[in-house]
Amino acid sequence: MLKIAVMIKQVPDSQDISIDPVTKTLNRSMARNVVNPPDVNATEAAVQLKDKYGGEITAITMGPPMADTALLQLMGMGVDNGILVTDRVFAGADTWPTAFTLASVADYLGGFDVIFCGEETTDSSTGHVGPGIAEFLGCEQATYVHKVEYEDGFFVVTRDIEGAEETIKIGKPAVITITLNANEPRNPTLKRKIAAYKKGVRVVTNKELQLDPACIGLKGSPTIVKDMKTVPDPVKNPSKLGVEDMEKLVSVLIEKGVVK
Amino acid sequence: MPDYDAIVVGAGNAGSAAAITMASKGLSVLLVDRSDPPGAKNLSGGVLWGNDLARILPKWQSEAPLERYIQNKKIGFLTDDSSIIIDFKTKIFEENKVGYTVLRSKFDPWLAKKAKEAGAMVIPGITVESLAKKDGKIVGVVESGDTITASVVILAEGINPRLAIEAGLREPLQDWEVSVGVKEIIKMSPQKIEDRFNLTSTSGMASEYIMGNLKELNVGAFFYTNKDSISLGIVSPMEQLRANGVTHTYDIIEQFKEHPSIAPLIEGGTVAEYGAHMIPEGGLEMIPKLYGDGYMIVGDAAGFGFSNGLVLQGMNYAFLSGILAGETAVEAKGRNDFSENFLALYKQKLEGSYVLKDLKTFKDIRKVTNNKNMYTVYPKMLESILLEMLWERGQPKKKVRDILSSCAADLNLSKLKTATDFYYIYRRM
Amino acid sequence: MIVDIKERLGKTKYDVDKSYAHITVDERICEKCPHHFCVMACPAQCYTLQDGKLNFQYEDCVECGTCSVACDQGSVKWTFPKAGKGVIYKYG
Ligand SMILES: Cc1cc2nc3c(=O)[nH]c(=O)nc-3n(C[C@H](O)[C@H](O)[C@@H](O)COP(=O)(O)OP(=O)(O)OC[C@H]3O[C@@H](n4cnc5c(N)ncnc54)[C@H](O)[C@@H]3O)c2cc1C
Ligand SMILES: Cc1cc2nc3c(=O)[nH]c(=O)nc-3n(C[C@H](O)[C@H](O)[C@H](O)COP(=O)(O)OP(=O)(O)OC[C@H]3O[C@@H](n4cnc5c(N)ncnc54)[C@H](O)[C@@H]3O)c2cc1C
Ligand code: SF4
Ligand code: SF4
Repeated sequence: MLKIAVMIKQVPDSQDISIDPVTKTLNRSMARNVVNPPDVNATEAAVQLKDKYGGEITAITMGPPMADTALLQLMGMGVDNGILVTDRVFAGADTWPTAFTLASVADYLGGFDVIFCGEETTDSSTGHVGPGIAEFLGCEQATYVHKVEYEDGFFVVTRDIEGAEETIKIGKPAVITITLNANEPRNPTLKRKIAAYKKGVRVVTNKELQLDPACIGLKGSPTIVKDMKTVPDPVKNPSKLGVEDMEKLVSVLIEKGVVK
Repeated sequence: MPDYDAIVVGAGNAGSAAAITMASKGLSVLLVDRSDPPGAKNLSGGVLWGNDLARILPKWQSEAPLERYIQNKKIGFLTDDSSIIIDFKTKIFEENKVGYTVLRSKFDPWLAKKAKEAGAMVIPGITVESLAKKDGKIVGVVESGDTITASVVILAEGINPRLAIEAGLREPLQDWEVSVGVKEIIKMSPQKIEDRFNLTSTSGMASEYIMGNLKELNVGAFFYTNKDSISLGIVSPMEQLRANGVTHTYDIIEQFKEHPSIAPLIEGGTVAEYGAHMIPEGGLEMIPKLYGDGYMIVGDAAGFGFSNGLVLQGMNYAFLSGILAGETAVEAKGRNDFSENFLALYKQKLEGSYVLKDLKTFKDIRKVTNNKNMYTVYPKMLESILLEMLWERGQPKKKVRDILSSCAADLNLSKLKTATDFYYIYRRM
Repeated sequence: MIVDIKERLGKTKYDVDKSYAHITVDERICEKCPHHFCVMACPAQCYTLQDGKLNFQYEDCVECGTCSVACDQGSVKWTFPKAGKGVIYKYG
């Protein structure tokens, strides 16, 4: 029986984020919260693994209290346990303390044979967290994976590498990050959702974890964000797109092998 | 033992009201909605009259996400070139504040949250696939092959009640039973809205129009102010659309927006959302059998709506029917009797309330809304009268009586027809 | 302020279920349809006529149910989308 974890993050639906025409800042006020899309693919990968080889799945998120709905939704898909890591001291974390905290939680829960992550998030999209967890736990990792099999105690995974794919074999325990659209996530069912809402999620705070305050949250974050700028839309200049230029453009593209 | 005392399908106004009523009396309740968050697929014009809501949520006015209270109500007739508007502003509205504009995507999740706080289990994002039947009784709901059981299922599915139809609890909808409502949200700054419509930061305006500028089509239109947007749209009976056969529903709303008296009101605004939904139009005749062994039907699913071109209501009927079904279930639980015989109490309660009384009073309203003259000829007639009376063009003036008869002649109407029309409209409204 | 229907629909939010078409039509029935009333009735321009042939796409559907009534020929098979997919109103 495999012990499987999925790390998931609740993010504002990217479709709902607009740029305020006046202040030019991101307006997230109308945004609905959703599970980071590749994390749903990661969950599906975990559920498929469980269906085939048996196991127990724990979904873990570090986030605000309202992130429980994200866990409940995934429990509706077949995740067994939901862990909400929430505490004021975790707030403001960059990727280093995020990975550190999540790795510590995995360890605290007794360790896992495999930890699934999404390839990256839609709200910050660093892609650091999965590999970070692997490094903190000192386990093997495979990134940008779209296919996972389990054979003789090894995970056989197929990764996207630019323009091709490779299949590799990694040992246990492993961190595997799953690409967006790697699979077709199943729908939650009413019966599973009812069970999830009845069971609820387990809340874990730092009182329980006892992590060094210097290594978590804003304090533990080496990144200092000095300033944020909204990049203006590139000015469109239709006069530059004459038909002649178009033909030239196409021929250059063919030359370079971009289009056939 | 069933899994729940009650399962409510649909967390719209009716479903959440039923769930709150039952859960707050200690019944175990499952409320399932197909959208996540609940209500994100619902659409109303948006004037909510909250008298009934106050029965279960006395503090709704301070807690609910409301837009603006209705300070004045306008009714108008549009012709090609003109608009004739009655602007009704009363201290009574201002003092009572029971009518508010709402946006369903904000209001419905709040109402569902209230159901959760009352103790109901609220499950969003699940479409119930069918009803579970046993020995002719409704015993639960089915989804992904699993059956969840309850002593009673309350069907609050809204105007397109797939489950009730599939289970044979009502006939498929016919043209005469529905109207098509098309709506847009126009974004506009609160400042502009308040200046343009002469409002304060909390007050709002609701207008309904009869579109006399559409040939061969009876269409009502609405125009409401929200905090920082306008809700506007059209309501067109399916029968009319089919008889007309050449007009796209999505063009009618643009014709409304383009009208010389509407265009300036939305100038400077931008379209933020487009949507559509059906509206019950059939009145008393479309109401199915409202209860049976193990089920009750509430809200739009039961056809509880009222529209006559100038008034558009359904949310209030949804609240009240949901509450009455909820109360019936609470009593049924006390007797442990969810049979058709006992649930007949729901119908009795409805008959004692204004829901069925209104529908009985206005049972012939479709004859008015389907009366072509009402939408095309009479607005034109009003326009002619006002032109004769108010337009100084260096000609001798006529008496109203003479204007009327010359109008009727111009418009090819017999006096008798006009008189009987007015008599019928008067009787039925 | 006339706005093309496609542009207006572009303002509305969807989470399209690419693996499940919640409405389907029977082409053989539509071919013989005397009125193609769905084309006029659908507020989201999901039904269009191309060279006299009916074309249906479910992606822009706002789930109003109109076509389930408008089609009296038995061609439309109408269900709700699953798992919260489909139209998601921000105002409603
Ligand atoms: C505008 C802005 C700028 C920022 N700039 C920086 C910066 O320059 N440097 C920096 O280090 N951080 C920065 N951050 C913070 C940082 O990006 C995230 O908050 C960080 O904690 C997670 O990184 P990510 O979202 O990029 O995750 P990724 O690394 O892209 O996520 C990969 C996967 O890790 C898992 N995962 C990620 N977060 C969680 C979580 N909270 N709980 C459970 N699983 C999770 C998921 O499976 C996810 O799919 C910034 C944040 C913002 C909003
Ligand atoms: C354009 C327009 C303007 C209107 N203007 C007004 C107005 O100004 N004032 C007014 O009072 N009324 C107005 N109405 C009418 C009003 O919107 C309805 O009468 C009211 O919403 C009915 O409430 P309900 O709870 O019965 O149905 P709904 O609010 O439609 O709720 C039904 C719920 O059931 C869910 N559901 C359906 N089937 C399933 C299933 N199988 N599984 C799970 N969930 C399901 C739906 O997603 C929905 O949440 C207007 C309607 C329209 C279309
Ligand atoms: S009305 Fe029905 S049969 Fe006719 S074209 Fe439309 S979908 Fe086909
Ligand atoms: S349900 Fe409404 S929007 Fe969807 S296809 Fe039918 S008529 Fe068009």
